[in-house]
Amino acid sequence: MTEPSKAPVHAVSSDAKRDPRRVVFVTRRTSAAVRTQDEPRSMTYPETFLRLLTVIEAFVVGLVVIALSFDAPLEGIADPIHTPNPAKAPWYFLGLQELLHYFPPLVAGVVIPGLVVTALVVIPYFDVNMESGSIWSKNKPRKIRIAAAVVLALCVLFAVFDVFVALVPTLLIAAFLFISSSWYGKDLKGFRGWLASKPLPFWIMTWFLVELIVLTAVGTFFRGPGWSWVLPWRS
Amino acid sequence: MSKPIEQYVDELRASRLWRSIFRSGNGPSNLHRALAIQQNIFLHLFSVKTRSKMLAFRLTWYLGALSFATFMVLVSTGILLMLYYHPSVPQAYQDMKDLQFTVSSGIFLRNLHRWSAHAMVFLVFAHMFKVFYRSAYRPPREFNWVIGVFLLLFTLLLSYTGYLLPWDQLSYWAVTVGSNIASAVPVVGAKMRFLMLGGHEVNANALLRFYVLHCVILPLVAVVFIGIHFWRIRKDGGLYAGEEDAHDGAK
Amino acid sequence: MSDEKQNPSTTETADVLGRRQFFIRLGAGSMAIVAVGSGLFGYDFLTPRVLYEASPLVNVGKPDQYPVKSVTFDPANRIYIVREDTGFYSLSAVCTHLGCVTAWKPELDIIACPCHGSKFKKDGVKIEGPAPRPLPWLRMWMNDEGDMMVDRSSETEHRQFVQV
Repeated sequence: MTEPSKAPVHAVSSDAKRDPRRVVFVTRRTSAAVRTQDEPRSMTYPETFLRLLTVIEAFVVGLVVIALSFDAPLEGIADPIHTPNPAKAPWYFLGLQELLHYFPPLVAGVVIPGLVVTALVVIPYFDVNMESGSIWSKNKPRKIRIAAAVVLALCVLFAVFDVFVALVPTLLIAAFLFISSSWYGKDLKGFRGWLASKPLPFWIMTWFLVELIVLTAVGTFFRGPGWSWVLPWRS
Repeated sequence: MSKPIEQYVDELRASRLWRSIFRSGNGPSNLHRALAIQQNIFLHLFSVKTRSKMLAFRLTWYLGALSFATFMVLVSTGILLMLYYHPSVPQAYQDMKDLQFTVSSGIFLRNLHRWSAHAMVFLVFAHMFKVFYRSAYRPPREFNWVIGVFLLLFTLLLSYTGYLLPWDQLSYWAVTVGSNIASAVPVVGAKMRFLMLGGHEVNANALLRFYVLHCVILPLVAVVFIGIHFWRIRKDGGLYAGEEDAHDGAK
Repeated sequence: MSDEKQNPSTTETADVLGRRQFFIRLGAGSMAIVAVGSGLFGYDFLTPRVLYEASPLVNVGKPDQYPVKSVTFDPANRIYIVREDTGFYSLSAVCTHLGCVTAWKPELDIIACPCHGSKFKKDGVKIEGPAPRPLPWLRMWMNDEGDMMVDRSSETEHRQFVQV
């Protein structure tokens, strides 16, 4: 193909100098992926709009019923001299306040929340969190060893500082983790098959969620005057 | 009945006055349904068409929408409560008593504000966990997740600053404990606490600062972040519908 | 997408209320009730029941404090207490023009407003100026302990003297 042709060219010419063409490569990592999708769609009005309105209305009605039935608390006027015993934070901070019982304020109030927030923020930037296959699908024996080491380290840490409220959920989740490894690969149905198929981020987040619930519950119901241990059904 | 009421409504909507305000009338065609979204200043952030799959309740439990709705409830009850609240010591506590006993519907609004605040904290946590367990943080939605974490922090801050305003024992000591935790930050902790409280103690200055934070600064910042959060949903291709492939090909 | 899928039926006879119409009316009716109710409760909420203001009732003391044929200005309550031969009366010291506090000028025997130059005789009748009405006479009476009381919020007829 050395002579110039007057006919229209239907192929990409191999002579880049005479016939420069731009070629774009689209890889999987190209962000803002815009794909043609053939999914069924509905008109936002009225489909989405009315569904949203209904759910929101039902919820607001529920809130109003609660507001009509239960009074928000109001204790005596603020008195800088008399500290109530116990002086509890609002419920969403009680998990933190429970941790304060074991660790100094710097650790429980700054370091741990700081690490938690940082960990949350960076979740979508780690490839391991993009996996959706089971944690046991590759390198199962090695992963069991690593998991055992991590769980052991956490348990030692909690035991040394007497943080039994954090120790118990850790042991619980660890138990489920190791049992799920034995359920993997056996094509089980139901809960066992479902749990065995979960990836690593699922286990870490579930551990965090359970710790959050347990710590908050303990701080709310099981702590009395002087932050002493009380059984709520006996007070 | 000479004309059913619907006919009066239809005539009203076809009138010149109505059309000058709302520009396009209602109608049975998809064009009208599209215009109802696209030409509405409050709704035009929505896409005109929604993927039918994402309408299912079980997918998201509508937690994001409920969080926003609760936020709206909090803003409106909060503004009404502001009409009877003086952020000074000890008037603030007296105003709480007034709201509960003398102001008409005062106790209802206060209760609604308080329980909605608790609901909001719960809902944003639930929304976060739901988004995580659905893997809806995957690219290209990573940054929206980050915005969401910030919104969670703002929700907690709003709740915390609001907690001081009744100026009762619960408020005072909760904020005392919290501000002491803030002072545990190395190097800048004491300064942070001093700026936060407007002094060394939890007193009138602290109340005023928390009031301004709670009623002006934090809501404005939250609204901006909510706007970005919603805008990103559109830019990222709508709500996550499970269309991203997994790395190990399972699913 | 079907364009006419959601076309409400307009071919029903006027007497038959279709299911769609029924629910639309039920919903719209409920919304109307909510709107009206919110409006009423909202108005009630916005109306303050407790006022952090001084009471309009003023105790101006025993009649003997006031010499006959005197005009006494009470600045805290913005009223004049006038005692003539025929009895007591009380004037509002607030100018009826735009609300400035007037001043009693004994050398001229008039009440003058410093803001826009309205002048009143000591019975409240206007002499000159932009004020539209005379200074109102306020309801005055003697209470059980023998004190003279003035109600700043209620006016009485001119020339209603209170005898002691």
